[in-house]
Amino acid sequence: METLGALAILVAFCLAIYSVVASVVGAMTKRPYLTVSGQRAVYGVFALLTVASGILVYALMTSDFRFAYVAARSNLAMPAVYKFAAWWGGQEGSLLLWSWLLSFYSAVVLLTNRRKLRDMMPWVTAILMFTQVFFLTLNAFVEPPFQMLAVGRGITAVADGQGLNPLLQYWTMAIHPPTLYLGYVGFIVPFAFAMGSLITKQPGDAWIATTRRWTLITWGCQSAGVLLGAGWAYAVLGWGGYWGWDPVENASLLPWLTATAFLHSVMMQEKKGMMKVWNMVLVSATFFLCIFGTFLTRSGIVSSVHAFAQSSLGGWFLGFLGITITMTVILIVRRLDYLKSETHLESVLSRESSFLFNNLILLASTFAVLWGTMFPVLTEWVMGEKITVGAPFFNKVNIPIGLFLLFLTGVGPLIAWRRSSWESLRRAFYWPAIMFAVAVAISLAMGSRHFYASMSFGLCAFVTATILMEFYKGSRAIAGKSEMNMVRAAIELTHRNTRRYGGYLVHMGIVIMFIGFSGAAFNKDTTREVVVGDRFTMGGYEFHVDKITDGDNPNYTWQHAEVGVYKNGALLQVLKPERRVYLVTEQPTSEVSIRRRLNEDVYLNFAGMSTTEEHKAIIQAYIFPLVSWIWVGSAVLMFGTFVCLIPSKARLSYPRTEVVEAYAEQKTVAK
Amino acid sequence: MPNRRQWQSRILAAFVAALFLAHGATPLSNDRVRALGNMLHCKCGCHASVTECNMLQCHFSDPVRQELLTMVEAGRSNDDILDTMVGKHGKDVLRKPPAEGFYMLSYAMPYVGLAAGLALIGLLLRFYLRRRPAAALAAGEASPELNRYQAQIDKDLSDLDS
Repeated sequence: METLGALAILVAFCLAIYSVVASVVGAMTKRPYLTVSGQRAVYGVFALLTVASGILVYALMTSDFRFAYVAARSNLAMPAVYKFAAWWGGQEGSLLLWSWLLSFYSAVVLLTNRRKLRDMMPWVTAILMFTQVFFLTLNAFVEPPFQMLAVGRGITAVADGQGLNPLLQYWTMAIHPPTLYLGYVGFIVPFAFAMGSLITKQPGDAWIATTRRWTLITWGCQSAGVLLGAGWAYAVLGWGGYWGWDPVENASLLPWLTATAFLHSVMMQEKKGMMKVWNMVLVSATFFLCIFGTFLTRSGIVSSVHAFAQSSLGGWFLGFLGITITMTVILIVRRLDYLKSETHLESVLSRESSFLFNNLILLASTFAVLWGTMFPVLTEWVMGEKITVGAPFFNKVNIPIGLFLLFLTGVGPLIAWRRSSWESLRRAFYWPAIMFAVAVAISLAMGSRHFYASMSFGLCAFVTATILMEFYKGSRAIAGKSEMNMVRAAIELTHRNTRRYGGYLVHMGIVIMFIGFSGAAFNKDTTREVVVGDRFTMGGYEFHVDKITDGDNPNYTWQHAEVGVYKNGALLQVLKPERRVYLVTEQPTSEVSIRRRLNEDVYLNFAGMSTTEEHKAIIQAYIFPLVSWIWVGSAVLMFGTFVCLIPSKARLSYPRTEVVEAYAEQKTVAK
Repeated sequence: MPNRRQWQSRILAAFVAALFLAHGATPLSNDRVRALGNMLHCKCGCHASVTECNMLQCHFSDPVRQELLTMVEAGRSNDDILDTMVGKHGKDVLRKPPAEGFYMLSYAMPYVGLAAGLALIGLLLRFYLRRRPAAALAAGEASPELNRYQAQIDKDLSDLDS
């Protein structure tokens, strides 16, 4: 079985090389049979990698400890779901998942575009498969997943494996990495189309129409992956943090930021024929940052709790990045004439300008995160000493940038395309500005003395007002014409232009998340050593320690507390935090207990038994105001993304080039 | 019967014990220790702060918390305590770069990048807006009909699409 797995990877590697060569030669020599053959090879790669992945998963599920990977990432006591999740729990398995997802995406791209963009598709195939060859090189020769444990002359198995990192044995961890990978890998598709359009000098922006949906889907997956990771950190790490600005967390944020910038600036190209070079740069940067993020996670260049063990992969990734960046820059420079804008900016007070500023702020944020992430490496190189760049630095630099971005989220819809007058701006900003002032005043009246939090609440109210106004104006027009009630009219409005109103829902999700982020300014916490019967208070709550017990099972030992949470003498809930120590890895984990409410979460962590006093348990109690809004906002963001993907009922906007071409055709007929 | 001195000793002991229990025995129950711990990076590999480190009997956080408590109770200032920690554990024990010398670059560069971007947008706008009046005037004079269509396009865009 192991030989079949290794062979499948090796044959897939050869097929991927064949696909690159056949596609390029077929496209250059105009031999359709060759290009079709190159495309068929992609399906072959997908089938072979499915076989290889299936063999690895089967070995994990059956605890076949002859496999070195299975022995290192799994053990007998692990529940089946985590045995499956061990596929991406280690370097070799997760690289195989990368390759498999890429082959899956490639196959779907070819299947859905088999009758479209015939000139461009061989090049798209070649670029997808060139990336596939790189990852298959790693699978086949650098980090092979089918290494066997050899003792003496034969292959043997250990009695039990080392098990998956206990911190990863949590339900969101079963879906967080593959969701994130769907995002990372998916961003290769828009890049392949962008490069294909440059190589073949595609007339118009057909590649944008084709890839926009891809970008949105992968952006949605990346968002979901990042947010699932945040949810995992909140519920597992034991101190209530959902974002620690860890280098690997930052690596997942970087392509998300540039992809967000692209999703905005691509509208400028579609509607106005502007920013073509810029869009190429953004699509390429997103792809490079995906590869760079993978490099950060796997090379060991920066130390991170999420990173895989130090390996020799760094050089491979840098080499691949170097080649692709060089080729992309050469291609863009050689096609600058083809990328000229069709129209230009006409006013500072225009929607176009607001998009420019939006892109600038997103790029500034990307640069700030990248700079902070790489600064320790730079310092070590220049000064010869290590420093740490942690959450305090990133918060200091990124909070003002984030608030400005939130402001622009509200400003965008208020400004007209081409140009706005000061009078129309004054009218458009009137109610949002009032909402801003009211929210800031309420925040100050409620005792907030935190500048950024108050500003954030104000800006959230500002953006909410602009979004509600947009829905209200449109819904009122529909309700007036068709005698619908306002709710029905709002649904109809959204259905008529899903991309626009879905986008507003995504913005609303971001606003709700910002409300949750702002709550962090008012967090409270305390740490107590307690015995059964002790009581303590914090933030208006009284905590009664009712029970402290311990025990064990085949997977871990545990200590468990039951703490009654009271307010004004009434019992609200009994929280049951637990501390586990996994037997195989001897690693402790916290099973925190949370009372989740929209106004605030009460969060208890069993930090362990006291080392100074016998029978005393250390309980950490936290109050996190508004944190639940982050998860609500995440759901709204995902719903908005889903709405954007639904085809509009009435097609209200047309790709600019399509209109231009239709106009040209009409003129020709008229002549 | 205990004498007056013994009574005084017992009352003092009870007071200290009460204070101790109210305060909690772990260093993290001291607010200043928690705040200082949040400025320090745990070096056990957990990548959390000294306050947030969740490792059982951590070889780094546990003794550092104890040291912090000792220094806090000795009445030392935060700056003094952080200097002591840097001297003992190196600059990478701080969770953000020190605001001095080369390290200032870490804070400055994001804003330099932002300023450069703003300057670039400013130049772009200036370039296009200088070209626009002449071009617009020429277009306007040449074709009033085109102006009508432009106005219609503006209206359609603002009505229908983002």
